[in-house]
Amino acid sequence: MKSGSLKPLLFILPSFLLAFVIIAYPIIDLVRLSLNDVGTFGEMHGFIGLENYHYVTEDELFTEVLLRTLYWTFFVVAGTIAISLPIALILNEDFYGKGIARTIIMLPWAISLAMTAVIWKWLLNPDYGMLNHLLLGLGLIDENIGWLADADTAFPLQILIGILVSIPFTISILMGGLTSIPTDIYEAAHLDGSSYWQRLKTLTLPLLRPFINIAVVLNVIYVFNSFPIIWILTEGGPSNGTDILPTYLYKLAFRDGEIGLAAALSVIMLLILLGFTLFYAYFAMKKED
Amino acid sequence: MRRSKRKQTLIAWLVLSPVVFVILFPFVVTLLTAIKPRNELTAIPPHFLPSQFHWENFLTVWSETNISHALLNSLYISTLATLIAILVGAPAAYAMTRFDFRGRRAYRFFLLVTQMLSPIVLVLGLFRLMVTAGVVDSLSFLAVIYAAFNVAFCVWMLQSYFETIPKDLEESAWIEGAGRVRSLLTIFLPLAVPAITIVAMFTFVNSWNEFIIAFSTLRDSSSYTIQLGIIEMTGYYSIRWDYVMISVILASLPVAILFSWLQKHLIGGLTTGAVK
Repeated sequence: MKSGSLKPLLFILPSFLLAFVIIAYPIIDLVRLSLNDVGTFGEMHGFIGLENYHYVTEDELFTEVLLRTLYWTFFVVAGTIAISLPIALILNEDFYGKGIARTIIMLPWAISLAMTAVIWKWLLNPDYGMLNHLLLGLGLIDENIGWLADADTAFPLQILIGILVSIPFTISILMGGLTSIPTDIYEAAHLDGSSYWQRLKTLTLPLLRPFINIAVVLNVIYVFNSFPIIWILTEGGPSNGTDILPTYLYKLAFRDGEIGLAAALSVIMLLILLGFTLFYAYFAMKKED
Repeated sequence: MRRSKRKQTLIAWLVLSPVVFVILFPFVVTLLTAIKPRNELTAIPPHFLPSQFHWENFLTVWSETNISHALLNSLYISTLATLIAILVGAPAAYAMTRFDFRGRRAYRFFLLVTQMLSPIVLVLGLFRLMVTAGVVDSLSFLAVIYAAFNVAFCVWMLQSYFETIPKDLEESAWIEGAGRVRSLLTIFLPLAVPAITIVAMFTFVNSWNEFIIAFSTLRDSSSYTIQLGIIEMTGYYSIRWDYVMISVILASLPVAILFSWLQKHLIGGLTTGAVK
């Protein structure tokens, strides 16, 4: 029913106010801070234009961290899709123990990222950790490895853990897509005598395409912002070797007291995110109309 | 010819086995660490299996660590955040399914934006908001923040469920002269309770597992949530990994069970949302 009255707006108002105050206040404050000369305790000493932006992006470390964030996002999302797609296809078939398989695959979703990171920190412990123990036992390594002491081993492992925790969410989107594909087109294809791989290539994957797109965009947003795995395992170290933008931002804001620079970096990340969001809105709303 | 189910089972488990191993191995180690005798935690070379099972660790952890306090903090924050999110989210979802009004599309877009703005980019501003309002370390205010970040999710999920509740029931009640508010309370609300319960539990789990806002804004360890309490335990000079792992289990198992049960509803909700 079309309603010109104020009633629907009254229904919406409380949720709007709550979200608006909690989310708009910080944004306005961050923009203001980023344009000011700010002291360690957040006191503003006057307008300085875009100086904070120049300063934060001129730093060589920023370029390094930004590039690493792009690697991190690309490899975690690409790896997640590459592993989730075949698993979703398998879970969509009929086999014995399907329920158990599904429960196990979905399990990492139920554990918080922080707890997952704590568990892996223990597994990766050089002296007492079970990963070294297992690899020694299998004869894959000759001596204990300090996985987290070196960025060259820590970062790839963090990417793998990032993939592991992103799989369940991705699979649930893909499986939602698979169940929405009408079964009669498969029956028709069966009658034509086409093979499983032919059906996969010509029917399933094209029909799944919009769901894969949504999974990619949402994962890019989540992974780009991901903090706990990297922070808990290495705090972005050793010597900033595993820092990504979120951990770098945290250090600027809460460790170094560089409030103005941190605010500028927040706004930069906000703009990148807004780009992703508009991209997603394009997909999501196109689907609805 | 369709492949036989037996052959399909073999292929399926063969392909899934590496992933299943990588997922289960950490959980097995977590449990074994939790019940290992203390001296075996730091044995070189380490033992995979404990020589004896110290199940009593699950009792001593309560007196040896602060986790009971942190668990209570988390329980309080998550419950309050859920209540607030549902109280403001349910009417909005109702309006979205029952009225077509100017601003509906704009509100949808607003929700989308709030959902995408991840806490990490706002956390400095949120902390300053708490300082300005004089509510640093206030658990209730943290709950309000969590509620705000969950509003979009609540509205979307509730909306996709509310759409399945037929309008004619309410409409026939109006014809009988029941009035809109009364029919809302007596006809719609009882039908909406299952959906609200499911969405509420999701919001609870989200708040329970939240890390970055709590980590950046809580200063006093007496206001730590369970996530922070456990991270604090891993920062000591000599880490008691058995207590850490027990705490991980206590913090995760109840929500993991709840979540596993809820998952099929989430997939259902997402699919209905996608189809409509």
